[in-house]
Amino acid sequence: MTEFFQSLGMSFEWAWGVATIAGILLIALPLMLAVAMIIYADRKIWAAIALRKGPNVVGPFGLLQSFADGLKVFLQETIIPSAANRGLFLIAPIITFTVALIAWAVIPFGEDMVLANINVGLLYVLAASSLGVYGIVIAGWASNSKYPFYSALRGAAQMVSYEVSIGFVLLSVVMFAGSFNMQTIITAQQGHVFGFINGFAFNPLLFPMAVVFFISALAETARAPFDLTEAESELVAGYQTEYSSMSFALYWLGEYANVILMCALNAVLFWGGWLPPVDWAPLYVVPGIFWLFLKILIFFFIFSWVKATVPRYRYDQLMRLGWKVFLPLSLFWVVLVSGYLMLTRYGGVL
Amino acid sequence: MPETIAVDLAEYLPILLFLGIALLLSTAFVILPMIVARFTGASKPYANKLTEYECGFPAFEDSRGQFDVRFYLVAILFIIFDLEVAFLFPWAVTVFDMGWVAWGAMMVFLAELAIGLAYAWKVGALEWE
Amino acid sequence: MGARNRREPCRRCALPLSRSRFLQGSQDNVIQAFAFYLFATIVIASGALTIVSRNPVHSVLWLILAFFNAAGLMLLIGAEFIAMLLVIVYVGAVAVLFLFVVMMLDIDFAELRAGFTRYLPFGLLIAVVLLCEMIFAVGVWNFADIGPDTRMGTIDPDMPNIEAIGRALYDRYLLVFEGAGIVLLVAMVGAIVLTHRERGGVRPQNISKQIKRRPEDATRNTQPEVGKGVEL
Repeated sequence: MTEFFQSLGMSFEWAWGVATIAGILLIALPLMLAVAMIIYADRKIWAAIALRKGPNVVGPFGLLQSFADGLKVFLQETIIPSAANRGLFLIAPIITFTVALIAWAVIPFGEDMVLANINVGLLYVLAASSLGVYGIVIAGWASNSKYPFYSALRGAAQMVSYEVSIGFVLLSVVMFAGSFNMQTIITAQQGHVFGFINGFAFNPLLFPMAVVFFISALAETARAPFDLTEAESELVAGYQTEYSSMSFALYWLGEYANVILMCALNAVLFWGGWLPPVDWAPLYVVPGIFWLFLKILIFFFIFSWVKATVPRYRYDQLMRLGWKVFLPLSLFWVVLVSGYLMLTRYGGVL
Repeated sequence: MPETIAVDLAEYLPILLFLGIALLLSTAFVILPMIVARFTGASKPYANKLTEYECGFPAFEDSRGQFDVRFYLVAILFIIFDLEVAFLFPWAVTVFDMGWVAWGAMMVFLAELAIGLAYAWKVGALEWE
Repeated sequence: MGARNRREPCRRCALPLSRSRFLQGSQDNVIQAFAFYLFATIVIASGALTIVSRNPVHSVLWLILAFFNAAGLMLLIGAEFIAMLLVIVYVGAVAVLFLFVVMMLDIDFAELRAGFTRYLPFGLLIAVVLLCEMIFAVGVWNFADIGPDTRMGTIDPDMPNIEAIGRALYDRYLLVFEGAGIVLLVAMVGAIVLTHRERGGVRPQNISKQIKRRPEDATRNTQPEVGKGVEL
């Protein structure tokens, strides 16, 4: 793209700058559109599982429902409680949404299509999801109200507990791939199993970690069955209780953007990213971005399916799962994978 | 100095730009409805609306309730295990070139932290979270 | 291991990739210098605001800003792994802990700050000691006229930062690394010993017992006659 702008007569720096900003907008704006559409898809999927119809009034097949909701929320009054800390109250949803957006800078959409091909791409994504905790904690505290505060603390503790097991799962993948660079991880999956299947999850040694990652992603994004911070019967809206209008909507946008990010991460780490499922030459004619979107949609369908199907976890059950099941399991798996790779790659005992 | 850096710094500039644009977008999303609400007359703050929500009652007690030490413990355990993962990151990409000694050393490290986890489990620090 | 495909030229890519041209010319040094001064100024300002803030939560937030900019500085010298680690560990874990404590403890900051003048001489003494240590650490190199090449180990320009750190840490500094593990273990045990309280009279859920339950133990099929009840 830089060359395109350069051909218009700009100098290299200007062309690069315009190309980068165009690239950023090409990621951010379709992402927000995708979030709107995926909220609609979520509701339609739950409806179908519950033998209902879901939104079908606004626009053809109800496709404009999310935009109608967005417009309604936009025109609402932003109520800032009198006892709340104004600055922090408004900054919290900004943090949530910003962090959900910037993590997309390192996701590869195709062979040469990544905004920032940094060597520590995976660490960057981990850092971005670590920052999501702040949106919640600051919201709860700035609301200066009991229920949001406790809900925020519990939500933060939940996010933090599952980040550890996500870290260990990422390690297993990185050991196979040999680098933290997202593109390298994807290209390492080419023909990984039996020489023609693209994807780490088809490796029996890594499939359990794919499952652990999926469930940890559910808990990290506070989706069902781990969504007790939103359980209306318990804590009203949890840390979002005092929020209205766009600041409230930003939390939902941020949460769904995080969900899509986790689906994309799942696809990139375990299922081949933008590679086609099988290493068959004609499949490469289809642009990689199509395969990535297909995988994201499949995983989002499973996310949605899980929410419509299983009952909610209680908080102590959730923490037990994170600390007593996933942490020892993923820790043990790191030992297993590293031992296996030492034997096969490094070779022999001493 | 740029000759000895092994990282392509220009790769990070898009991230900085992305951060700026994301902040701009988010702030616009928050500020615009507030401005619009003042014009459309939707902005009508009055005392009852602005008090915090406690199912319709006035708040029973101060919002800063009791300090629950479990959250503190979870945060500390998270720091410890996060650091453990941080030590594992460089190990994961280099151990296969460095031999069994490096592997064994990390196994000792993981064993130490597994002992810590077992202790926490046994004592009940992971309960009733 | 560690395939590095950072500088592939891109022919028909939708997003710009090859930027090695950017490292030529004086423009790039201007950007680096500008970034350095920006990050450094914000670090110092945030640090000052951390200790000057009246609200403890604001202090922690300024500290977080300082951490971010320190990570930016790390990036500028090419230590990308350290930069990411600063964000993951410091901002993502340590500052969260600080925030938890500060938010829950309802510290009376005015009371704490009242002792400022009492401790000022001692604080100044420690600051002077730290300054001397820093001057010695750097000045010794300068005094002995040791050039930058001999001050640090040889850096392989092609090796990513993570690999370089890994090769040093698990080779030369193995025992120090194990010592760090012991420190982490002591910290964990210490935190638990200090904060754990026994809560009596609680019946926790025994998950394995629940899962082991079989339908035969839980239910019983009976065929009561018409008009007769069932003995439970």
